[in-house]
Amino acid sequence: MTFGDLLLQQTINGLSLGAMYALLALGFTLVYGILELINFAHFNVFMVGSFVGLWTLQAMGLSGQSVILTGLPLLGVMLTALAVTMVVSGVLGVAIERLSLRPLRNVRGPAAMITTIGVSYVLFNIVLLTAGADSKNYPNPLPPLTWALGDAVLRLREVLIWIVAVALMLALHLFVQRSRLGKAMRATAQDPEAARMMGVEVDRVIVIAFFVGSALAGAGGLIFGLYYNFTSFIIGFTAGLRAFTAAVLGGIGNVPGAMLGGVIIGLIEAMGSQFIAAAWTDVIIFSILVLVLVFRPAGLLGRVAPNRS
Amino acid sequence: MTGHPVSRRAVIGAGAALPVLAGFKAAFGQDKSITVGINLSLTGADAESAKRIFNGAAMAFDEINAKGGVNGYRIVVTPYDDGTATAGQYDPAQAATNARKMVANKATMAAIGPQMSGAGKAMAPILSQGDLAIITPASTNPDITDPKFAAQYRPAGKPIYFRTVATDAFQGPHMANYYADVLKVKNVYILDDSGAYGVGLADAFQAQAEKKGIKILGRDRLDPKAADYTAVLTKIKSMNPEALFYGGVLQAGVKVAKQSYDIIPKVIKAGGDGVYGPEMLSAVGAPANQGWYATIAAPHVTDDPKMANWIKAYTDKYGVGPEDYSVTAYDAALVIAAALKKITDGGAAPTRSAMRDAIQSIKVDTLQGPVSFDANGDIMDKTISVFQIGSDKAFPPDDMRQYKYIGVAPAS
Amino acid sequence: MTRAIALLSRPIAAIPDARRRQILIAVLTVAALAFPLLHDNDADIDAAANAAAYATLALGLNIVVGFAGLLDLGYAAFFAIGAYAYGILTSFQVMPPWSAFWEPFAFLYLVERLQQPGGDVVHFTVSFWIMLPVSALLAAFFGVLFGAPTLRLRGDYLAIVTLGFGEIVPIVVRNTDWLTNGAAGLNGVQAPRLFGVSFGVDALPYYYVAIAMVALLIFVSIRLRDSRIGRAWMAIREDETAAMAMGIDRTRTKLMAFAIGAAFAGMTGTFYVAKLQTATPEMFGFPVSVMILVMVVLGGMGSVWGVVLGAVILQLLQSWWLKDLSEWLHTLGAAIGNAWLQQIDLTRAVELIFGLILVFMMLYRRDGLIPATRKEPALNFEQQHAEVRRGGALPLAGLGNSDHGGLDVRGVTVRFGGLVALNAVDLTVPPSSVVAVIGPNGSGKSTLFNVITGLTPAESGVIHFDGADIQGLPPHELLRRGIARTFQNIRLFNNLSVLDNVLIGQHARLTTGPLAAVLRPPAARQEEADARIRATEIVSIFGNRLLPRLAQTVSHLSYANRRRVEIGRALASQPRILLLDEPTAGMNPAETLELAEQIKGLHDLGLTILLIEHKLDVVTRLADKVVVLDHGEKIAEGTPDEVRRNEQVLTAYLGRGTLAKATADA
Repeated sequence: MTFGDLLLQQTINGLSLGAMYALLALGFTLVYGILELINFAHFNVFMVGSFVGLWTLQAMGLSGQSVILTGLPLLGVMLTALAVTMVVSGVLGVAIERLSLRPLRNVRGPAAMITTIGVSYVLFNIVLLTAGADSKNYPNPLPPLTWALGDAVLRLREVLIWIVAVALMLALHLFVQRSRLGKAMRATAQDPEAARMMGVEVDRVIVIAFFVGSALAGAGGLIFGLYYNFTSFIIGFTAGLRAFTAAVLGGIGNVPGAMLGGVIIGLIEAMGSQFIAAAWTDVIIFSILVLVLVFRPAGLLGRVAPNRS
Repeated sequence: MTGHPVSRRAVIGAGAALPVLAGFKAAFGQDKSITVGINLSLTGADAESAKRIFNGAAMAFDEINAKGGVNGYRIVVTPYDDGTATAGQYDPAQAATNARKMVANKATMAAIGPQMSGAGKAMAPILSQGDLAIITPASTNPDITDPKFAAQYRPAGKPIYFRTVATDAFQGPHMANYYADVLKVKNVYILDDSGAYGVGLADAFQAQAEKKGIKILGRDRLDPKAADYTAVLTKIKSMNPEALFYGGVLQAGVKVAKQSYDIIPKVIKAGGDGVYGPEMLSAVGAPANQGWYATIAAPHVTDDPKMANWIKAYTDKYGVGPEDYSVTAYDAALVIAAALKKITDGGAAPTRSAMRDAIQSIKVDTLQGPVSFDANGDIMDKTISVFQIGSDKAFPPDDMRQYKYIGVAPAS
Repeated sequence: MTRAIALLSRPIAAIPDARRRQILIAVLTVAALAFPLLHDNDADIDAAANAAAYATLALGLNIVVGFAGLLDLGYAAFFAIGAYAYGILTSFQVMPPWSAFWEPFAFLYLVERLQQPGGDVVHFTVSFWIMLPVSALLAAFFGVLFGAPTLRLRGDYLAIVTLGFGEIVPIVVRNTDWLTNGAAGLNGVQAPRLFGVSFGVDALPYYYVAIAMVALLIFVSIRLRDSRIGRAWMAIREDETAAMAMGIDRTRTKLMAFAIGAAFAGMTGTFYVAKLQTATPEMFGFPVSVMILVMVVLGGMGSVWGVVLGAVILQLLQSWWLKDLSEWLHTLGAAIGNAWLQQIDLTRAVELIFGLILVFMMLYRRDGLIPATRKEPALNFEQQHAEVRRGGALPLAGLGNSDHGGLDVRGVTVRFGGLVALNAVDLTVPPSSVVAVIGPNGSGKSTLFNVITGLTPAESGVIHFDGADIQGLPPHELLRRGIARTFQNIRLFNNLSVLDNVLIGQHARLTTGPLAAVLRPPAARQEEADARIRATEIVSIFGNRLLPRLAQTVSHLSYANRRRVEIGRALASQPRILLLDEPTAGMNPAETLELAEQIKGLHDLGLTILLIEHKLDVVTRLADKVVVLDHGEKIAEGTPDEVRRNEQVLTAYLGRGTLAKATADA
């Protein structure tokens, strides 16, 4: 394997990781942009999403990697799984907001953040106690298509991850920029009081933000399962921490920033394993988080937010 | 916070229910009895395995008690759980507390456990002061029985930590011998999972592999909580190794197996007893698990035709099949019973000290063959058995018998 | 039943509060000391020692989360640092070759020479008793190191950075095998020795050390809480901006909380490892940090006794209650023949219970089991309807200090994006004068105040106070120099009492540091007593409006009273110039008149005042000079009379059309 091919392969690896982090980072960014709240429950909405995807695929009769589908059946199965996962995760996100966060909307201090940690723990343990601690074999009906690029290999599932992630992010970007609700969302993020006075239903905007963010996390969970062919109750924590770093790196509250941050973190993880050591990946990523906060707290694409306290 | 220790026991499914009742009877009845504490990680990541190990020991004692005990002595089991939810696995502090509980219970004459060496390190000094012998069926980190640390782990002088399994100091090197002598591997890349067991196993493997002239292409430590090892495996691929050795348990092992199948499918892959487990079959599945080698630190007996009856009895009783450490746990129980017999044959009453001395000098025929201990408490017979995962149509794909027994790894 | 309780509690209620507390503490102390004697079970004593260790951790986190309001999610990292510091310095892990360099250390019993075949080596044997404070300092050092970059940022970033920090410390421990023996865990950590006797593995001595640590840390926590330092923490927690404006150095104060909290954890780490005699990286993971947080949340954030109770309850829950409860359910299940009940194992659900505790406490009982602030009873009818005494400004030391060169603002411009909030505004406030700034809403008055007090940076222009350039100085430094302010939308420390609010106003004029707060030397005692007297004196400026309400939480006060407290708080800082932003807003005419007179009284004492006010009668009554702002520009300046007749001012206030109409009508 030449060095060039190796770099190419690691770039492919990093981009696939980055696409997942980006999907997850969007949820952090949407909620933070509007509520200025770090939503720790998001970590495990992602995890629950991957289990919903697992159960949906199993319900459609798939198990392991033995059944391979092509053409329309493949498309149908994939779209169904994606739709079910996104809707269930989105509803879960909305339920979390309604039941545990809305009553705390006007409470100062870390109360809301502590609540999201609690919710995260609850989700985590419910899955642990019901589904068990063992890793699950994820059904994957994708044909094992590969393309050789020199010695590097590009697999169908990588291409699919990129397509799905980019499509979802593009849709979100258009939604935020063009649609009425998206505009209301941006207005609320700028100044909730002013937005309220201008007739924006802030509650509704917040619900939408939770729905969209959680649905994207769910999609991320499904993609995770299909990419690695496994899932487990424990996947939310590490992925969530890295995705949050991605959101901060890109500029929290900033949608394109979350995507950029996700890709950068993914690439850093891949290149770090190649050139430094896998054991130090977390340390590297954490150091980046601290450095960004010290030298560019607004992130790569963010603007310096006025202190709204 | 007061109360008889009997009311404090964690009840582990139906298997433990009988001994619990026996405990009540023993505590309040007139029978002669001794108590044996069993400490395993019944909560957290290793709970499933812990249950099967517990059943192995409990089954032996139940059989002995059913025959009227040893010279009239019934053997009562007190279970202890060193796993806590906060640790998500074994918790050394809880293990230490459990060791104190065992020592504090005057009826306790011997103990079985723990599963994890980290727990053993916290327990050993306390048990040593209490002169209470413990036999581990599963913990394989060599530190505790290493005479170098005698002052730390047996401050009272005599060994109290016995094993019915061989330590990593044998499992890793013997597998390195197997790589060099049987598989004729010329170079290898080594991974570990950051855990005490995995790092120790990989270190021991690496040292012996170097001695045997196998080229070590590199060594990486994986974060067991991370999902993605493709970058590391891509790096490994670029080095074109003949073989991979993974020291660790299945939390990371499942991902290593799955992703290495995608990236380096043709490379020889092996691990220790950490990759000998049901998840390798159910969560990894075929084709990714095919061809993986795994070892256990005991002679392989569950395939043995004479074992068939034992396995059937176990499966009938507990509803699940045994694993090999169920066997070592059963054997540990047999050792304790034999020691009790040795003392009481002469009409003496059992004491902790007498039990320890009896265990030290015992030679007893067990499921895995004759068991005896060296001066440090390690098992004399250091057999390492090698398995390879295949897909035998005779059994379901997640039946443990998909681990096909290959033979014994060379000792040198 | 309730009646019986009421009857029983009556004699208890008759005992005075302070006395009751003393009795309770005495009972708890005796119970803690006697427990091992009454209950001779090594394992239970060991579990109690563990519970005490967790209580010390909870006390430390309480300083960070409860007092200062900073969410630290990686607290176990400091626990790990203290643990490994002791572990490495007493085990056989690091053994450099022996050389003469080590002789003096051997003399001090810090190391010993170990004979080995390959040459003699150094074995570290640092005493447990030395390591307790050293570990505390080391953990505090790391707290400062990692807190400093992030504590100046928004509070929620701290949560994520500490989470990351908590993740990587165990990873670093795991990956530095030579230092820590990695995942295999340290071998041979020494037990503490006292008078030549090793503690060994007997749980009893550890129990007493743990109890002593809990007692010490409770003492330290309470002393800190009731000091200048504790008040500064709570001010930051309640309102960071107002705290800065009242002279509290935000970063320094937060760092202090972070470092002291870390020190508690470092000390506990040393104890924990000494007791266990081994350490593995897995003992210090995220679940441990969360469990300590649950203890703090359950007991009551900011409540010293509460978090101790929280720690004890969680330990009991884990060690006994869940097991007992599971057994009862099994028995019940067996009795009614329900297989599901017989299978239940609640110990496995303990983390789920932690999560539920966090959620439900936040939703329904944010103050925890023992709230940090007890509600003072409301005033009785008579007190509420007592005749209003006006009070008035008293010639207190430091009030009305006019010995300065006045405030001079030259060409200050502030822009928010494209919007010009202030455009080259000039303003002079001579010593001992009252200057009023008026103008329509959005004309830039409050922005001007924010620039002067350092809350908003100016794009250009210069600001001098007492002859010195003060532009760009942080708010707390400006207050130290004598510039104090109130806010248009009242920014009090809402969950604190009237007295505490006014005491916080004195922060910059007091000197007690954390050490003095704990040890309370005579000087610190005197300073605190003086500060309290002074606070009372300041409050009495407002007659009997606030005096009977000193102990009440300010959020329960009327709007007018809250305005008064805010002015009192600003006066407590001994300002040389006082900036009042609409002090009479929301008051009725009588109250307005009363306050105007009180302000006039302050002016009569010589206090320099800069005032934003809408009520023109107040302005006329008080101001020597009036400055009019409109759309960020100064459009007029002069005596109240001059300004009132200024055509431009009328236009700005009434609009051009109206003015034209008014002129035509005339």
